[in-house]
Amino acid sequence: MGKMDKKWIILCSTAVAAVYSAGYYTTESQAANNNNQPIHQIAKNVQAKQYTLNGSKANSDQTNNGPQVSFGVTPNANDNNTVSKAAPVNSSQKSSKYKNGTFTGQGMNRRGMMQVQVTIQNDKITDVQISSWGMHYSESDVVGLPDEVLKNQSSQVTNVSGATYSSQAFEDAVQDALNQAQNTAG
Amino acid sequence: MRKAKVYMDTIVDIQTVTQKSTIETEEKINRAFQAFQKIEQACSRFSHTSECMQACQNIGKPVEISPLLFQPLFFALEMARLTDGLFDPTVGKLMEENGFNRHYLTGEVMKSSCTESVTFRDIVLNPETRTLLLKKPLVIDLGAVAKGFAIDLAAQELKDLDGFVINAGGDLFAGGLNEDGKPWQIGIQHPYQNNRFIDTVEISNEAICTSGSYERKNHEKVDVHHLVNPKTRRSPQEWISCSIIAPFAMMADALSTISFLLGSEKSKSFIEEFNIKGIMVTPELQIIQTGGI
Repeated sequence: MGKMDKKWIILCSTAVAAVYSAGYYTTESQAANNNNQPIHQIAKNVQAKQYTLNGSKANSDQTNNGPQVSFGVTPNANDNNTVSKAAPVNSSQKSSKYKNGTFTGQGMNRRGMMQVQVTIQNDKITDVQISSWGMHYSESDVVGLPDEVLKNQSSQVTNVSGATYSSQAFEDAVQDALNQAQNTAG
Repeated sequence: MRKAKVYMDTIVDIQTVTQKSTIETEEKINRAFQAFQKIEQACSRFSHTSECMQACQNIGKPVEISPLLFQPLFFALEMARLTDGLFDPTVGKLMEENGFNRHYLTGEVMKSSCTESVTFRDIVLNPETRTLLLKKPLVIDLGAVAKGFAIDLAAQELKDLDGFVINAGGDLFAGGLNEDGKPWQIGIQHPYQNNRFIDTVEISNEAICTSGSYERKNHEKVDVHHLVNPKTRRSPQEWISCSIIAPFAMMADALSTISFLLGSEKSKSFIEEFNIKGIMVTPELQIIQTGGI
């Protein structure tokens, strides 16, 4: 019986090759990939939104009158976002909604918290890196976790295939970072 | 080395096994992440500024598009032809209507204009000129191929390493061998229990992608999830999860979606014809393996 896989394998490898032959991976600058911020670049007051215990977000707007949630992170941070010196003020800066820079945000649900670093340039999110993950997940939940969480848990299964994992906690974390990035003046 | 970033509404986790220097490895990982960034910029239907949504502004006239959009779209249209439209990248509007319309970072809600009935035949691609022509206003959804394609591009960046896994929210490619010099063991998520696998597989230089109905659901309508049959406009319920193992993630991605849509009777022979492997799970947790696992 004629197997159909050949045609599709060729289609896939041609597709990959086509992207490379177009030079997309040699010409692009990596300017937007500046991600050398220290992990605990956390603002003194994590401007926490209201969280309910079941992990859902109680309010998604940007008022900050909810209870302050402490995550036990050392408050050694400075409030100023690190990038101001790298980004010369230009005219478009005036009307921008967010400051340029890398901002750390946190999200939590009943199993723990996660931390992301959101990089913003000219009001666009250019990068979101998971900087720490304190979720008390069991082994099979360890999808996309930094080393320290993994350790050597009982077996070699460190990866899981499953329906696309979606997490309110990560949306919350990104929103938290955006709140900190928001230009308050004007 | 292991790093995780967020792209395409999911967490992309890259881990490597290598003797190469940290700097060299890090550079490769960064380039692998860039593949996701670029594919997202090209193919997203959640951003007005993506190449795809921009190109869709033009009706009835061919526009040149980059390979980052052309290639996954071409692949999706071939799959659409093969399945006679069961798999159809013009389901974008239907997805919007089903509530999958919000950008995961910006919260931007998409409300696109679209003709009542559209099919993949309303998209014409010309490989010679690399142009896209839409016959009618429609919304292209590459949700079932774009992530897989990004994984394949990322794998290309990491292929010189002894081992690596690129895991994009449960769709993954495992290259080479793990720290112990063995094939990578991959657990398949239990649909109902967060902390359990329903099965495990060993793979090396292969992709595994899972389409499941248990994670992304419509919050208002119980029987609507993100996998939808464009002909019936309904979400099939015969499987709860379909995992496909194939040489490329784009193939595994599309074929897991198709197997899910085909349902229990037809998907087995479909998978066998493709010479690939599949692990399907029914809502009652019956596991069906096919393709010589």
